[in-house]
Amino acid sequence: MLLTESFLRQLELLTLVPRGRAHGQLKGMHRSRRTGAGMVFADYRPYSEGDDIRNIDWGIYLRMDRLILRLFEEEADLPVYIFLDTSVSMDHGEPHKLDYAKRVASALAYVALLNHDRVNLITFADGLREMLPTRRGKNQAPQVFNFLEGVQAKGRTGLFAALRRYFGVPRTRGMVVLVSDFLDPDGAEAALTVLRRFRHDVVLLHVMSPQERDPQLPEEVVLVDAEEGTSSELEVTPALLAAYRETFEKHAGEIEAYCRKYGWGYVRALTEIPFEDLVLKGLREEGLLR
Amino acid sequence: MRFLALPAGTAMLLLAGVAVLVIGLYLLRPLPRRLVISSSLIWRRVLKERKRKPERLRWWLSLLLALALALSIAAAITRPEIAAVGGRAEEVVLVVDNSATMGARSPDGRTRLERALERARATIEARGAGSRFLVADTMRQISAPTFQDRRVALTMLERIKPDSGRQPRFPDVALPHGTGAAGQALFITDGVSGVEPPRNVQTISAFQPVDNVGIIAFDVRPVPGNPRRYEAFVEVLNASAGNKRVELRVAGTGAKVITKTLQLPGRSSANEVLDVSAFDSGPLRATVDTDYDGFALDDTAFAFLPAKHTVRVGLVTRGSPQLQRAFELLPRVQLVVLSPEHFGTARGLDAVVFDRYAPPDAPHLPALLIRPPRTNWLPRQVGEVADIGIARWDPAHPLLRHLNLRDITVESAELLKSDVIEQGVRVLAVGPRDQPMILTREAGVRWIEVAFALEQSNFAQQASFPMFLANSIEWLTNESVALSRELGVVSVPLANAKVVNLEGREAKAQWTHDATLFEAPQPGFFIASSGDQRVRVAVNLLDPRTSALNESPLPLQPQDRELVQPGARIAIDPWMLLLLIAVGLLTIEWLTYNRRVTI
Repeated sequence: MLLTESFLRQLELLTLVPRGRAHGQLKGMHRSRRTGAGMVFADYRPYSEGDDIRNIDWGIYLRMDRLILRLFEEEADLPVYIFLDTSVSMDHGEPHKLDYAKRVASALAYVALLNHDRVNLITFADGLREMLPTRRGKNQAPQVFNFLEGVQAKGRTGLFAALRRYFGVPRTRGMVVLVSDFLDPDGAEAALTVLRRFRHDVVLLHVMSPQERDPQLPEEVVLVDAEEGTSSELEVTPALLAAYRETFEKHAGEIEAYCRKYGWGYVRALTEIPFEDLVLKGLREEGLLR
Repeated sequence: MRFLALPAGTAMLLLAGVAVLVIGLYLLRPLPRRLVISSSLIWRRVLKERKRKPERLRWWLSLLLALALALSIAAAITRPEIAAVGGRAEEVVLVVDNSATMGARSPDGRTRLERALERARATIEARGAGSRFLVADTMRQISAPTFQDRRVALTMLERIKPDSGRQPRFPDVALPHGTGAAGQALFITDGVSGVEPPRNVQTISAFQPVDNVGIIAFDVRPVPGNPRRYEAFVEVLNASAGNKRVELRVAGTGAKVITKTLQLPGRSSANEVLDVSAFDSGPLRATVDTDYDGFALDDTAFAFLPAKHTVRVGLVTRGSPQLQRAFELLPRVQLVVLSPEHFGTARGLDAVVFDRYAPPDAPHLPALLIRPPRTNWLPRQVGEVADIGIARWDPAHPLLRHLNLRDITVESAELLKSDVIEQGVRVLAVGPRDQPMILTREAGVRWIEVAFALEQSNFAQQASFPMFLANSIEWLTNESVALSRELGVVSVPLANAKVVNLEGREAKAQWTHDATLFEAPQPGFFIASSGDQRVRVAVNLLDPRTSALNESPLPLQPQDRELVQPGARIAIDPWMLLLLIAVGLLTIEWLTYNRRVTI
């Protein structure tokens, strides 16, 4: 069980907050750019044949003898694409990065389901691996949880290939939540450019373990890359560790800067922080949840 | 390259072994721990930015440092000879003459030995690092000299002091062949002692002229014909180059002193005969004093003035004119001639001489027996020997003092069985096959046995015969005479004796079964006593050759500035340099390791 009952109850009070208007096709709970049956006044336009006469502003007709129609924002659902990195690099760390990521993804998916958003769960590594077809409604939550529980780590990290492949077919613009450690040998920028092109509302959850941020290594060590299998012998010195920490911070900072530049959300998911705190505080502070 | 601590082959093997060991240890170095991480992406970026040194290069650098370090230490153990660093290593034999004349002090206050030791030190310090030195002396103060390193050799030089106790001689040491590359043998001497070094030894002069006035002879003898008068004979040598005004002083017990002033030209001597009859019996001290004297050992001499009284000696013989005449000529002897039959009637004798006769029982008087017949109380006769001489004798015994017995020939003599000679009987002279010829017994009533008759030998015609008789009477009657000995280790024929000098200070003595030995580095008068026996010993230098300090065939010693050879240097030992290099390498290794330059 990824999430406890009590935590699920806490999640029921939350809702996903997109940064722009929702572009869902179905009725939902998010403001959209479409006008139609809604509660929030949006605009006026001249009446044309076939329009719903219930929306004619009869006051204007009396004053100006013209048929003017009142337009209302239509509330739409939000397509939520949750990408979960299941590369081998996620299969490390204490607490375990993939477990942490799965729980965060479960929480976000659950909140989305509660709000009748269309939830798409995609796992990837060096390409798309598994996808859960669109789910909507709270009753779909068990299927979402089962899907996530069955996810296993495998393969190299390849963000670009996965995103390009997924968005290679037309997808409704929506919210993309990318949960990954972003340890992509090819870099994350190219992959993020794909998302930018489709103008999705993007939030990056950067999963990082304490061992990655502040490694504790013996003086002489051979580091073996779990994904590529390459090894490098190191003479570990305090200066080298300091340089590593600086470079790691720089790496994360570059990704965050990219996100900020394009108005995306970026959250550092430090695995040593209880994931409940991350969801209930971190994501709310970032504006992803309300 | 030579190695001083090990044979070359072994040293090379050691170095090769160390190199193989170090390389082996590097190859067998445990692999670092393998750690699987999520991704090496960040590490690759870190290492790329840090311009990481190639691992292989670091490994080689570390190996080279370790090899250099280990080989430096191993090479230091082998003590290599590196001419460029420490100069050429040699084996130098250094013999310093420390005979008595080397103690002569120059006007500048330094002795010849001090100059010689300075020269020796300069020689040692000028030799290349790794050189080894054999330091020896002519007076055998350094026993069993062997090759040592520089530090020990310098220490051994400190032990060499002037010594007048023994005959100086060149020590029996292994000399390098020739004076070539293998080494060098040097003999530093003033040339006065006359020690001749072997052919391949280079002699270095330590000679400096020294003024010296010394006593080269001093003796006290009774005046012939008047046994109550004694004269002291003193010979004084002026070994200096110039004239000397010398004050000679002879002092006896009590307040009796004779002083005489002598004017001695350079390199000349003077004989003085002084009447000491007025002196009381006892030791006499002769001293010379002059304005400057660089050698003190010969400035004082001692002799002994015996008691002045006659001795009654009975001669028991059936007729021996030679013997009778010889005794009658001894000034202090009152002779009583007796036939064997009347021997028992004689009274008031101090000693008795038996000529070819011996009483059946041991007499109660000290006796000299000349070829006695077989009796129970004398050593057993086992036969006769014919036509022999006296091969060896004990010149230290008072009985044979100043005697030369070499020219005595004997037609026939008793053959005494030496292996059954009783305890207390001492053989003083032997034939060519160790046949006892003259024997004495000191315990109890003394006696002397001569194994041959005067008529069957030429002893009575020898110059030493009257002196033998005089010594015999003196010894038999235990007359107060003094032994005369040279400086150094003095042997007194008295077992377990306590030795004191004139001031009453006891000399440190050692004992053999029949003698007492003690050291007398300065002239002096000693009394050795054991029970009721006393022996007086006058220890003097009295050596004209030693006193003639300036009679040297060697040139003057060069000036001090010439002592150190040109180009000589005190170089660091290569092994020490190698250790310093090792320390330096260790520091470099530590620094490079901590800066991660090496692994």
